[in-house]
Amino acid sequence: MKIGLEVHVALPTKTKLFCSCSTEASEPNTSICPICMGLPGAKPMLNEKALEVGASIAKALNCKTQDTTSFVRKVYFYPDLPKSFQITQTEDAIGREGYLGIDSKKVGIRRIQLEEDPAKIIREEDYTLLDFNRSGVPLVEIVTEPDISSEEELREFLTELKSILYYLGVDIEKEFKVDLNISLGRNRVEIKNITGVKNIIDAERYEVERQGKLLKAGQEIAAETRSYNEAKMSTEASREKESEEEYGFIYEPDLTTYSTKGIELAKPVFASRLAGEYAARYNVSAKTLKELVLFNKDALSMIEHAKEKHDMKSIIASVELLSKYNMLDMKKERLERLLLAVEKGVYPDKETLSKLYKGEQVEAAGDAVDNKTIDKEIREVIKKNPSILEEYKKNPKAANFIVGQITKKYKVHPRMVSERLNEILSG
Amino acid sequence: MSSIGEFEGKDIPESYYPKLVKELEPINKRLNAFLTISNPEGGFPFSVKDNICVNGVESRAGSRILKGYIPPFNATAVERMLNSGFGFLGKTNMDEFGFGSFGLNTEVPAKNPFDERYVAGGSSSGAAVATSILKYHVAISESTGGSIATPAAFCGVVGFTPTYGAVSRYGLIDYANSLDKIGVMARSAEDVRIVFDKVKGSDKYDTTCTDAKFTAKDKKKVFIIDQFTKGVDEKILSSFEKLVEKFKDMGYNVENREIRLAEKAIAAYYIIAMAESSTNLAKYTGFKYGLRNERFDEHYNEFFTKARKAFHKESKRRIVLGTMVRSASVRDRYYSKALKVRSLLLDEMNALLKEGFILSPVMPILTPKMAEAESLTPLEMYKSDMLTIPANLCGLPHISFPYAYEKGMPLGAQLITSQFNDYAIMDMVSKWEKDFEYRFKYNLGEL
Ligand SMILES: [Zn+2]
Repeated sequence: MKIGLEVHVALPTKTKLFCSCSTEASEPNTSICPICMGLPGAKPMLNEKALEVGASIAKALNCKTQDTTSFVRKVYFYPDLPKSFQITQTEDAIGREGYLGIDSKKVGIRRIQLEEDPAKIIREEDYTLLDFNRSGVPLVEIVTEPDISSEEELREFLTELKSILYYLGVDIEKEFKVDLNISLGRNRVEIKNITGVKNIIDAERYEVERQGKLLKAGQEIAAETRSYNEAKMSTEASREKESEEEYGFIYEPDLTTYSTKGIELAKPVFASRLAGEYAARYNVSAKTLKELVLFNKDALSMIEHAKEKHDMKSIIASVELLSKYNMLDMKKERLERLLLAVEKGVYPDKETLSKLYKGEQVEAAGDAVDNKTIDKEIREVIKKNPSILEEYKKNPKAANFIVGQITKKYKVHPRMVSERLNEILSG
Repeated sequence: MSSIGEFEGKDIPESYYPKLVKELEPINKRLNAFLTISNPEGGFPFSVKDNICVNGVESRAGSRILKGYIPPFNATAVERMLNSGFGFLGKTNMDEFGFGSFGLNTEVPAKNPFDERYVAGGSSSGAAVATSILKYHVAISESTGGSIATPAAFCGVVGFTPTYGAVSRYGLIDYANSLDKIGVMARSAEDVRIVFDKVKGSDKYDTTCTDAKFTAKDKKKVFIIDQFTKGVDEKILSSFEKLVEKFKDMGYNVENREIRLAEKAIAAYYIIAMAESSTNLAKYTGFKYGLRNERFDEHYNEFFTKARKAFHKESKRRIVLGTMVRSASVRDRYYSKALKVRSLLLDEMNALLKEGFILSPVMPILTPKMAEAESLTPLEMYKSDMLTIPANLCGLPHISFPYAYEKGMPLGAQLITSQFNDYAIMDMVSKWEKDFEYRFKYNLGEL
């Protein structure tokens, strides 16, 4: 099985790709001008910030350095496309021939191209509305080689890519659209315009099954464009057919060739790789660490800040605690107090935590409840319910009610209780 | 010789402008130079080719499909003219989207003011006629492959096409973006210079617009190009020879040279121009502006197709050919090759222009009558651009000026120079004007 992707995400720029309209308007058709409406006479002017982000993504995905980059016109007719051509990139794209490493392999990146988003189509029952606020929003399209060969790899690739983009400032929740190319046989099937990871995986599952059945029955798989039906969780053949032939690419003559030499590139952050390294170094769960940091800059920066001086388990516990109460942007110098408490086995309650967050005076960061108190409490509960030991051996979840009781009583973090409990029961 | 200087030296009463409009209207009904006429409300009058946007004024590039398109902004060149105190007089007639050499590809063709049975030339037909009939006026015009030089020659006025990128194209309704140049028509080289100084210079709204310094490097050599005299009408050649003699008298060394690739220029030009124009015309779908299809119950494909029937035949031809030459299977054979020819031709012409100027007739044929021009096949029409295309294809500055009158009809010659040396050819024409008086049949708005 061969899977290749074309991933589209919106770039984090304040203004559109070829005009100075804001990318953040909400009221439909209010952030528009002659340029992004494609009015006769208007010309594009490149937003250099988009070039910067594009080049940074190219670097993060190990692309070959390009000295210059230029644009092309891709012609097709559709109501959401104001000029009936999209300004995009082909051979001279901002990034070429890169890769993204996942656990088992390197997935080739064929091309990274900047392009303008068309208008947004809103389909109502018997009419269609267009919102041109989206017209001209800068997109980056990441085209992979067909190197992905399983659902697991697909999922991993998407997660890694999203994390890298997230750390480059891309709002991955704003737009994450994928064209999925899947071929089990000789012919390539393209499923266009799938939004979000869940749908991508579902579409992949459906398509693999569909193509597999056809092959088993000795039938040919047609090379075609399909679309994903979210409600039915299935793919269906699309009516529109466009080929490279019909796009008729020409150089965009209203723009020039742009030098990429002076561009200041953002330093990429490979959160997943860092999580793996720290997990090995500090002997903690890689999975837990990854979950914490893949899409959380504050969490990663706290871990990096504290990792030399504190125990990693306590750091993770603290970060989880702060994350639970949305306080991850706590000032670093205030973090110390929390870490010390957690290291002693003391988990501050919400009130105390919020005082710590604000840098207010606290008597003690939850010192009232320390390990001894919790241990005593646990032992007492066990004494009252001796059968719990046997049950716990069969199913560790049986201890949950103890954790619940104590957590409630002392307003402490459940992790603290369960850690103590584990120690007592296994000791 | 500057009519702008002369005009500004006089005390112009406010009543001058409405009187001018009144005088112009009936004659315009016959000659069809203007598509719209406004009161210029003070200031030296200027007209604007219909493919250049004027805020609040219908701008439809001579096309039916843009009927009713009123741009909400001024082209940079127009904005700069208005800011310099010029008064907007109206939009001038043209071949649809600039597609034509005789001004016939439009609803009501402009007529030659010297003899109304003859064409005015294209595509800036109206701009040339307006310049030829108005005593005090300059025309903001545009050339892609000869759209300034040709009508200027046929109507006996000065037509200047600057270096590509000298004047911002913001607000120009595109024909072929890598070839389109906004230029000036006037009754003297001095007027051209004054207007060029106002409109040139970089503009953030046009990436291809340059802030280069323009020069006036005189060169003592003038080249006559073999390929630019081959196939030229005998009558034109004999009077052109007299012009060459006069340039010798003016102190220039005249030499005959060759531009080998000139013969490939027409093909390369039309391939690039059609490829680009077919993408530019894609946006006209009768949807958001211009001619609007009111039936919204059809599939968008039918909807778009219906609107696009409004294109003139020549536009349809260019859409079809342009789409073909850029399609994947033949792109290398046509579009990519044409780009190569352009770059090689530029090298060849640059080498020559380093040493001197190129002088040639503007058109290989005498001004045709309307019916004669109409009977030309498309290929014959394209071929009539053979002398204006090389400079236009390479983005080289050139100026067309009247140099003789053949049976009462003006003949035009052109000087070509290297990129950014725009002032040098204006200087040469100014020198020429010292001993040669231009003739005009009308002098509307005389003081
Ligand atoms: Zn805009």
